[in-house]
Formats: sequence, C-alpha cells, structure tokens
Amino acid sequence: MAELSWGRRYLMCPPEHFGVLYEINPWMHQEVRVDPDEAHRQWDGLVAALRQAGAEVEALPAHPEVPDLVFTANAGIVNGRRFVPSHFRFPERQGETPINASWFAEQGFAVDRLPEHLDHEGAGDALPFTPAGGSPVLVSGYSFRSDAAATAALGELLGCPVRPVQLVDERLYHLDLTFCPLDDRRALCAPLGWDRYGRKVVEALVPEPLWLEDDEALAFTANSVVVGTTILMPHVPPRVGRQLEAWGFTPVEVPVGEFLKAGGGCRCLTLALDVVLTPGSDEPR
Amino acid sequence: MATETIELTGHIVDSLLLAKVLDAIVDAGVEYEIVDVRIGRTNVDPSQARIELDGDVEVLERLVDELQVHGANRVVTGEAQLVEADQDGVLPAGFYSTTNLLTDVLVDGRWLAVQSPEMDCGIVVDGDRARTIPMHRVRRGDRIVVGHDGVRVLAPSRRRGPTPFEFMSSEVSSEKPKALVVAQVAERMRAARERGGRILAVCGPAVVHTGGAPDLARLVDAGWIDVLFAGNGFATHDIESNVLGTSLGVSLDEGTPTEGGHSNHLRVINEVRRHGSIAAAVDAGYVTGGVMATCVRRAVPFVLGGSIRDDGPLPDVLTDTAAAADAMRVEIPGVTVALMLASTLHAIATGNCLPAGVETFCVDINQAVVTKLADRGSHQAVGIVTDVGPFLAQLADHVLGGRG
Repeated sequence: MAELSWGRRYLMCPPEHFGVLYEINPWMHQEVRVDPDEAHRQWDGLVAALRQAGAEVEALPAHPEVPDLVFTANAGIVNGRRFVPSHFRFPERQGETPINASWFAEQGFAVDRLPEHLDHEGAGDALPFTPAGGSPVLVSGYSFRSDAAATAALGELLGCPVRPVQLVDERLYHLDLTFCPLDDRRALCAPLGWDRYGRKVVEALVPEPLWLEDDEALAFTANSVVVGTTILMPHVPPRVGRQLEAWGFTPVEVPVGEFLKAGGGCRCLTLALDVVLTPGSDEPR
Repeated sequence: MATETIELTGHIVDSLLLAKVLDAIVDAGVEYEIVDVRIGRTNVDPSQARIELDGDVEVLERLVDELQVHGANRVVTGEAQLVEADQDGVLPAGFYSTTNLLTDVLVDGRWLAVQSPEMDCGIVVDGDRARTIPMHRVRRGDRIVVGHDGVRVLAPSRRRGPTPFEFMSSEVSSEKPKALVVAQVAERMRAARERGGRILAVCGPAVVHTGGAPDLARLVDAGWIDVLFAGNGFATHDIESNVLGTSLGVSLDEGTPTEGGHSNHLRVINEVRRHGSIAAAVDAGYVTGGVMATCVRRAVPFVLGGSIRDDGPLPDVLTDTAAAADAMRVEIPGVTVALMLASTLHAIATGNCLPAGVETFCVDINQAVVTKLADRGSHQAVGIVTDVGPFLAQLADHVLGGRG
C-alpha cells in the first residue's frame, strides 16, 4: 500500500471576511452568527496542524465581497502546472472565479476554462483516486453544484478519466462531503450521498472503502485532509478512528465549528496544489 | 406519440451513466434505440452514444428533462421540411398529419406556434405564420410541412397548468352524483366567461324531445351560449315545438302522438323555406320562441350542418359538408368550453375540429357516445351520462340562479 502521491502543499484563504451572509446549502442559516475571533483561531489551528503533519501552506488573499473564498477547495482543479477554475452555480459565489483564475495565472499556472454554460465547483466536487499500479481517476460529483455534462468537458481538458457520481442528499451537496481518498486502496465513503450507480462506481474503483454511517457522514467526517498518514478531521467518530488507526493512520480532530456553520470542514478550507492527474502536466510551461 | 434523440458523451461506460440513462428510459416506459455508439479505446478516451426515444409526448418531455441532469443532451432536430403543394385540394405526399394538441414548427431557426390546432389536417407555413389547413382548402403553391423533422407537439398540461376538471378525470360513468356534476359544469362555464372564453353548444334533436329546449333557450337568452352547432333535426324540432307544440309529432305537454303529427316537422320546414331563412321566419313572427329564435334575436351565430337523410332541409342548413365544417372552423377560435348535448354525429364532427385544450363536456344518455368521441381523438371530453332534458334544466338554474 502506498501513501497518496499528493497532499503536501495546500492553498488556504484566511477568514478575514468570512461569515454566513447568504444561504446556499442546508447548513447555512443567516441568523447563526460566526464568531470572527474563534474562526481565526480555528483556521490558524488547521494551518498549524497541516504544517505539523509536514505540509506546506500558501495563502490566497481574502476578498471582502466573497466570504466563501475561504473555502479554497472550490477554487478549481489543479493538474500539475495547469488549473481549471470553477464555474459556480450560485451568483453569490461567481465572483470568486476571476480571483482564483488570476491568482493561479500569477503563480505561473496555465489556466484552462470550462465552457461558459457548464457549472463545476472544482476540487469540492472532484477528487482523484489512484488505484495501486493504475493512473489517477477523477471522481466527480454532480447535481447540486456541478453539471454532469461538465465532467465530459473536464475529462477532455485534463486528459484523465472522470467518473461522474450523482449526489442525491442535499446536505451532502459536494463530493468532498462524501468521499476522501486515503491511499491507493482506501477511502472514506458516504453512500448516503450517492445514488445506486454512484455506489457501484466507487465500489469498482476503491478496493477497501471505509463506509461511513449516515450520522458519521452528516458530521462532516469525510471532509478531511490527508497528509501522508495523518488525517485532519472535523470530527473523528470512535468507530472510524479505530479503523483508521488499525490501518496505520493517525486521525487528528481539528475543530472547525465556525466553518461548519457555512457547511464546510477541513477539506473545504484547503486546496491541494500538488495534484498531478496526467503525466507531463507538472512540467512548467 | 413523439420521437426525441439524445446524446451522451464522456466516460459514460465506467461511470455507469449510460446504464443509468438506459434504466431511466426503461423505467419511464419509453421505447429506445441506440442509433450510434462509439466506445473510447482507452479509459481516457471519451465514449459517445446517440439514443432515439419513442413515447408519449408528455412522458418523453419529462424523461428528456430528467436525462439532461445526467448530461444527456437533446439533439436539436432539423428545420421543418416545406414542400409546395402542386395541386389545389391535395397535400404533398408525406405531409405531416396533425393532432389536436398544441404544435410548434421550426422554420428559419424559429419555433412557430401552429394556429388553430385541429386533428387530421396539414400545416401550412406562410412567412412567419403557421396554421393547420384541411386538405380541401390547400391551394397550389402553399408551403406544407412534410415529415416529422422540426415539428414538436406540446402536451396540453404544459401550457395550461393542472387540469381544471380533475374531479371528473376518471372514466365516463353513469354513477356520479349529478347535482355535483351540474354544479361543476356551471362553475367551468363561469370560469371560462371570466377569462373571456366563448362557450359552444352542440345540440342534437333529443334536447327538444326531452323538453330541454326552453332551458337551453334561457341560457342563450342570458348570453351564456356564444355559438351553437346543430343539424337540420334539432333546428326543425325546436321550431316545430314552438309553432305546433310537438316534437316529431309528439305533444310536448301531453307526451302523446298528435293526429297527423308525423308530418308536423315537414310543414314547419316548408313554411320556413317559404320565408327564406330562420331569421326571416322569426322576423315575420312565424317562429316566436325556442332556441333558434332566441339565437336570432340575441345574434348568437349558429351553424347547421346537413346530412343525406335530412327532410327539407331548412334553408339555413349547409348541405355541402366541407362548407359546413369550414363554417364551424370560423366560429371555433376563442371557444374554451364545449357542451355536447345529446348529439352523436355533430359532437364527433365538432370534436374533430376542436383543439385539445377546449374543455369538452359530453352529455348523453348513451355512454357509447362519449367513448366514441374519445376513440376519435377528443381525449379531453368528459362524459356525463344522463338525460339531457333534466340536465339542462338544472344547469340553467345553476348558471342563471347563481347557485353552486
């Protein structure tokens, strides 16, 4: 069993302008106030935990008009030195696209755009699984935020296989609330979020899935960040923690309660910058 | 029935998208054929499938919407093919034969709504207008839609919202509470009136035989009937009952045959012919009441269509059936409620000309009439199996008395 080939370098955006200012998923309630100091403390805690686990963290400057920029997982899809910025479904988040695209362009990434009419919310809705001895397969969620038709376009842009999986539970509105690749054999999987075809697709791809119970899934257990054998999790259910330890992982609970108020956990707050989906794409242009 | 083509591309095999789409098609009860499929050589190459769907218009519409969620796109059909008629009264071979449903045709990149939806016609396109055209009205040079390309048929509910008479959406039955049904028909007439719709009455002679004519005349007099279709029989017996007090020689007061009554209707027809028209007979005071006289006085248009077995006929009867159908077509636009009153032949003839969106109530003592109407494509018809005389009495009370 081999560790993930990615997950050592992350993009994060400080919660300077973060707040629940609108409601675009069932977790968001405008009357629930975010404690800005606590949000900062939690965000700093996640950065510290990532660094302690051996990962680097880069910062995307915050922007007053787009509070959800803090959820960098939705910036887009990284493939080596290439980047496909997200096309957001809700107008509330559409202002993030140009900010993300220019940051990546400034960093020297080649920016490829999806067709204008197709929605896709980046790594929030697409995570790669690389089976032992195989090449990366991008598992891409659709229905609430991303279009199924966008996965075909994504496959063409990236040159890697993309397996669309239909998301069926509104509370698990992004794929990264239902799926977390752990290594080349295992992944956290929340079948509650998928239709029966999606479950079969994941079963065929992941040899040893750790199936999450519904309450575990709804506690954002899958919205975790894997750095080698360390797993930073918003919540570690005892049963899941024991299984992960038995497999040789170190689960670490990182409090991100202020961000859960907006429907985002550890994974949502981070975007892995070292993902390579197709050979050659990591070479500078 | 309609046909749609959808296309699915991407990694549709490994992701089970193709399987999912095919399952959804089968679950919807829609026939399908994979007309083209290309499977990617490696798992990186995209695959593509083109699927032709065949099914009920409404089911298909819902299915295609559902499949769009899975990334299956409707393949836009080509433009409607137009062929000039090369002969008067003859449609080009392969002409598109219409239904009574709302229909659009794609011409020069624009969907044109076909005016005057009517079953069993052709579609003629003139500039940016499209309308149905009965075969006999075709003129040489008319541009007629041929084949199915660029034609889409819209299910009535798509544009009309929920069916207004859901209470009677079940099969025709003689076992429904009549008072309730009458109240509901009155309600639909009021609703039609409020929206500016016209109300059509199609009458058979039984309306007169069963004593319903005075009640129908009350409705006409109060402005609740905007147009009336009937034949020689209804008009004749209506006038006979006014002039001689009999219907087909039977006294309407006594219910018994009168002496020499079998010729009463002939004498009445003869006198009206002497006047030249029903209106002239009314003006001259020969006919003083009844449905036809009330129509004349209230300027309610009527169309009397003829048949071979007509006695006389009355001078107003159109004996050229194609001309009669055309005269009916002139009066149909704007009609939103049709009352088919104890008339088999005229009800079916009218049903053939009505758009599917017209709320049609078929009142007959014989259940077979309603079935017949539906079998000939007027699926919107709601059957009310009852004696038309008492029905009209109750309906007039409801509508005029403001009850219900």
